[in-house]
Amino acid sequence: MKKTYLKYIIAFLAVQAVTAAVLFYILSVAPVKREIMRISEQFTYTTATGSSQTAEYLNKLRDAKHHEAFLKSALSLAKRDSIALLIDLKDSLAILSLKGVYLFESKISVIKLSKGLEKMPAEVRDSLFGGPMQLSSEIVSIEKFPIVVKKAPKDTTEAKSDDSAPTLPVQNDVFAMFTFNNGMVIELAQSQKELAGHKSAYRKYKRESRSRIRKEEGDYLYMLRIELPREEARSIYRALPLRPYVVVRY
Amino acid sequence: MEGKNVTKTAVGVTVLSALVLASIMVISANRLKETAFVFLDFPVSDGNYTPEDTVKLKKEITTKEKSIATLQKRVENLWPYGPYLIVNTTNNTFVLRNRKGVIREGICSTGSYILLDAGDGKQWMFKTPKGQFRILGKIVDPVWIKPDWAFVEESLPIPPRNHPDRYEPGTLGDYALTLGDGYLIHGTLYQRFLGLPVTHGCIRLGDEDLKAVFKNLEIGSKVYIY
Repeated sequence: MKKTYLKYIIAFLAVQAVTAAVLFYILSVAPVKREIMRISEQFTYTTATGSSQTAEYLNKLRDAKHHEAFLKSALSLAKRDSIALLIDLKDSLAILSLKGVYLFESKISVIKLSKGLEKMPAEVRDSLFGGPMQLSSEIVSIEKFPIVVKKAPKDTTEAKSDDSAPTLPVQNDVFAMFTFNNGMVIELAQSQKELAGHKSAYRKYKRESRSRIRKEEGDYLYMLRIELPREEARSIYRALPLRPYVVVRY
Repeated sequence: MEGKNVTKTAVGVTVLSALVLASIMVISANRLKETAFVFLDFPVSDGNYTPEDTVKLKKEITTKEKSIATLQKRVENLWPYGPYLIVNTTNNTFVLRNRKGVIREGICSTGSYILLDAGDGKQWMFKTPKGQFRILGKIVDPVWIKPDWAFVEESLPIPPRNHPDRYEPGTLGDYALTLGDGYLIHGTLYQRFLGLPVTHGCIRLGDEDLKAVFKNLEIGSKVYIY
């Protein structure tokens, strides 16, 4: 009897292990391999394996090229009339720029790159996901324009009663997921872990952002998450136009 | 018979848990891809660099560094030469600065985002416009010419244009700077509301801040509102 149960347990574990292995391959290894192949077909990437000094120079040159491209992008965006977001991961800064003038700088406290972005050769990553890239859709926990509709008072008594201190709407927590025209996703999140606003707004954001990630059509989703202080993240989100341009310096 | 039942149950449990496992894996496919990337790499080939290439690389780096310095200068040249004002309408703060640094910073009040509905299709949106502006005029002891919404808010009859009831001295503080389209930077009687979004679109400053802004900004000076 004991032997039969053992047989069942072994069979159970074997079925689960095979299911997990097959699905792991189908759902993750195969699409990641396809993505790597797709990128490798478009770009060839070389490195110096022999000399450490050459490798160092190569890295320096790639950094310099990327910095140059970042500045060129900032200059090209300065020709536009709208505010752009420059994300400088090297100096951990999120910058609002209008006509080349830096209006606002916020220190990024946490930077998280998806493994694909982390592992992608720097040169390829810079040219594919450096920008300028234009926002194509967004999921956000706060409104862009916090409009409050107010009916005009009916008489002078009502008007006078309205003369007290203004009641301000509840400021919800700031989480924004931006999807760009090149397929990249940037998540702008407040660094404060405790929620200050309505929990429902946060839950709605979480639900929608998860569903957005699940619905991703391509083989792999390149994601960057940056965390900033709540009010600074709010200022940045509200300052940006509806379809802003973003440049990233890795 | 009993053995058959046990086998049936075991098969059922196994299939069911395999299905549960499969659903969990499908839901967390994105995380699994992250795990897969731990084991997989982008192919990188050896460039077979020679010592001459190293010299070339060094030269190229120097060229790039020069280009970066030039580009940085070009970016800096986009900044205004004289003092300019930056207004944050979300946090209701301002920074008065020039190329050298901050001259003064503090709190202000900007548009409340109230949409005043007077019925009959008459509506006013009280928001501060965003973008790059210039100071178009500077006024000492400004007189507020009350627009229609000011009467609607007080539930008073709207007087005709240029009617004496429209003119209100003292409300805008000691100075006003015009930005165009009726928008002003001015003072306020409601100092306690500074730092809050309570205006009808203008930018209100505290007395001393207004004085500093008025003194530093000239006609043509730039004002950036975001």
